[in-house]
Amino acid sequence: MGEVILTMKGIDKTFPGVHALDHVDFEVRKGEVHALMGENGAGKSTLMKVLTGIYTKDSGTITYEGREVEFHNPREAQAAGIVIVHQELNMMGHLTVAQNIFIGREPRRGLFIKDAEMNAEARKLFAQLNIDIDPRETMSNLTVAKQQMCEIAKAISHEAKVIIFDEPTAALTDTEIEQLFVIIRDLRAKGYGIVYISHRMDEIKKITDRVSVMRDGQYIGTLITEECTKEDIINMMVGRVIYEEPKTHSMVEEGAPVVLKVEHLNAGRMVQDVSFELRKGEILGFAGLVGAGRTETARALFGADPKQGGDIYIDGKKVDIRSPKDAVEAGISYLSEDRKRFGIVLKKNIIENSTLATLQEYVKGPFIDKPKEAKATQKYVDLLKTKTPGIDQLVMNLSGGNQQKVVIAKWLVNDSRIMIFDEPTRGIDVGAKQEIYELMNQLAKSGKAIIMISSEMTEILRMSDRIVVMCEGRKTGELDIAEATQEKIMTLATRDIDMQNSKAMEEGA
Amino acid sequence: MKKALEKFKSLKLVRIMGFNRVVLIGVIILLCLLFQVLSAVLNHGNVFLTYARFSSAMNYGYFIGFLALGVTFVIATGGIDFSIGPVMFCAALVSGYCFNNYSFPMWVALTMCPLIGALFGSVGGFFVAYLHLPSFITSLALMQIAKGVGSIFTKTQNVSWPGSADPGGWYRSLSNLTVGSVNIPTGLIILIVLAIILSIVLNKTRAGRYMICLGANREAVRLSGVDTRRWEMLAYVICGALAGFAAIFYVGCYTTVQPVKGDTFNNEAIAACVMGGTSMAGGLASILGTVIGAFIIAIMQEGILSMGFNIAFQYSLTALILLGAVIADVTSRRRKN
Repeated sequence: MGEVILTMKGIDKTFPGVHALDHVDFEVRKGEVHALMGENGAGKSTLMKVLTGIYTKDSGTITYEGREVEFHNPREAQAAGIVIVHQELNMMGHLTVAQNIFIGREPRRGLFIKDAEMNAEARKLFAQLNIDIDPRETMSNLTVAKQQMCEIAKAISHEAKVIIFDEPTAALTDTEIEQLFVIIRDLRAKGYGIVYISHRMDEIKKITDRVSVMRDGQYIGTLITEECTKEDIINMMVGRVIYEEPKTHSMVEEGAPVVLKVEHLNAGRMVQDVSFELRKGEILGFAGLVGAGRTETARALFGADPKQGGDIYIDGKKVDIRSPKDAVEAGISYLSEDRKRFGIVLKKNIIENSTLATLQEYVKGPFIDKPKEAKATQKYVDLLKTKTPGIDQLVMNLSGGNQQKVVIAKWLVNDSRIMIFDEPTRGIDVGAKQEIYELMNQLAKSGKAIIMISSEMTEILRMSDRIVVMCEGRKTGELDIAEATQEKIMTLATRDIDMQNSKAMEEGA
Repeated sequence: MKKALEKFKSLKLVRIMGFNRVVLIGVIILLCLLFQVLSAVLNHGNVFLTYARFSSAMNYGYFIGFLALGVTFVIATGGIDFSIGPVMFCAALVSGYCFNNYSFPMWVALTMCPLIGALFGSVGGFFVAYLHLPSFITSLALMQIAKGVGSIFTKTQNVSWPGSADPGGWYRSLSNLTVGSVNIPTGLIILIVLAIILSIVLNKTRAGRYMICLGANREAVRLSGVDTRRWEMLAYVICGALAGFAAIFYVGCYTTVQPVKGDTFNNEAIAACVMGGTSMAGGLASILGTVIGAFIIAIMQEGILSMGFNIAFQYSLTALILLGAVIADVTSRRRKN
């Protein structure tokens, strides 16, 4: 660890009704990976937004390279060498890799862009990072992981000195995470100051040098990663210890009826001949790598995307689901992995979001029955312990975990019998995660049938009664929780389709 | 100062109307005073605040108001409609022509207006909601179709609706009713009643809730099991019907309609709407704001005439106001984010 490059001292920021940052201190040294942890709503993102000039601070000082600075917009911060690699990638899919990296500052001769020089520059960057990406490739053809590496290359090309990673591994597979870590370690060795925001405890232990913890807008403390345990960090974050233990056996009652049966579902390239059954009170985990076709399967089942074929039976009766409306009427609900785009209406309040799927039941004559609506909303706010000043609060003012609870409330109000949770805890802090797990278990116990898509192995092993594994649009296996292990799931999730086919042929012969 | 502002904001009337709307009413008063002074200075001591100007501004405000109320629904869903002005003219041309040449009774001609508008609205709404065409392009195409239909039907002739004293001239009392020596602004009464009804539709019915929510996040509403196409199309039908309805008040004011015209009113109606606090990004709408916005536009028009400027100034000025309103909308959204 080198000298201190960035110090934030006494940073204070108040939004109407929320003291988002309460005199927070934070520092980054050259050549360190500094984790910034805290539950959602603890103020991590706000702090980083203050740093990069997206928000203006109310008070406090930022010292960068020995000078007091104040950035008014992300551009100024970037010019000074502070760059964020966002969780949601900001890439233009139809442009090439090099075009993306040099957007807005292309090497030019007069009016013309010097493509060759740009590509060569990009190649140099990738060589520096030991990454193998063709700068001429179209961005949308790359995997999420590779796109992220392009973001990193872009950050470095800005002559960054401090790089902030905001949940960089959320959409990556385990091998991709390893590759990312190699790059981060390399950057550290080169003397970059790195801020690493993540909820994944294992990663923090693996990659970071120091951990700073925030809670409710306050700075709690900084630990040397090597000298502390997971439990220490979690305790600082939430003030209580959480144990994560895998389920040992299925909780589904003997002879529970099959609620949902899907046969030979086909939808585009990503869903090929998928069949499975879901029983009452069961949590059926869908495991696989990112891009295995799990979300696509859920969306096709829910009628959100068109399907080419396949039969769906609910309680043994064949149903025709062509749109989300049909699915909701058949008692299916879908909680998307991308809450902000597909789950909630950010600009509207909790009431409006909670009754969105069931508004027809909250009318009196031609009018919306507002008292009834408010009562139902309040009931689920209390039940789910949604943290909010009031039910008329706009959803965009809530933290990620609480937004997720609003989405869950929407489907509970609807009383769906089959619930599809797609990455239910993505971007959600440890405390809220725990609550959502408990809630899912309660729902299953009360007789709901749940499909849970998750890319987190611990989540799959902890929650599922049975596990379906997918790879490249096909179902490659099904495991009972009693026999499931990480290794078995991983083998199925990475099973090469051709190999599988040839094996099937051998078996046939 | 800050304290006084907070106190003002917490007054009951201000809370009900919304702070921005109160500011807009202040803008109206300021504009009147400004025009009073500028008219005198620039136009040889001309007086702006006269009864004639006032009633002329009101008349202008009625049909702009109906147009703007309609387009508020479309903008709330995140769309835009550039066909309303020509649709209004088309309705006035076709129904007026039927009254003059095929001796349709006046009440039939008047009923035809909103129906013609609704027909255009449903065509546009179908293309946008069911075939997913951009509303911008769809409404531009529809604007030309409306102009074409209107002029083909009338053989490219002006259509003159009857004067107050002519048979069938009673329709003008929908805009202004004179009983003895008392003038009753019936147009204003109808506008206010309709605004109240539309406000209830927007804020207290399922249709309004869905339209606003889908303007804010269409995919989330669709994935909640709502048939978004139906509700989105409804917004365009309402918009078209109101554009047709506006025709009644346009002819009530001017009696004569020209073919292949009407597009200048698009900007004015949209500007009124955005000024009133309806967000171009969708998901946010204010009926009261739209009504006030419409009268600001009407006062600007009178002000320009009163200052002795050519009416062509109005076009540029409206465009500038529209830009200004959109800038205010965008920056306030950015601040919130």
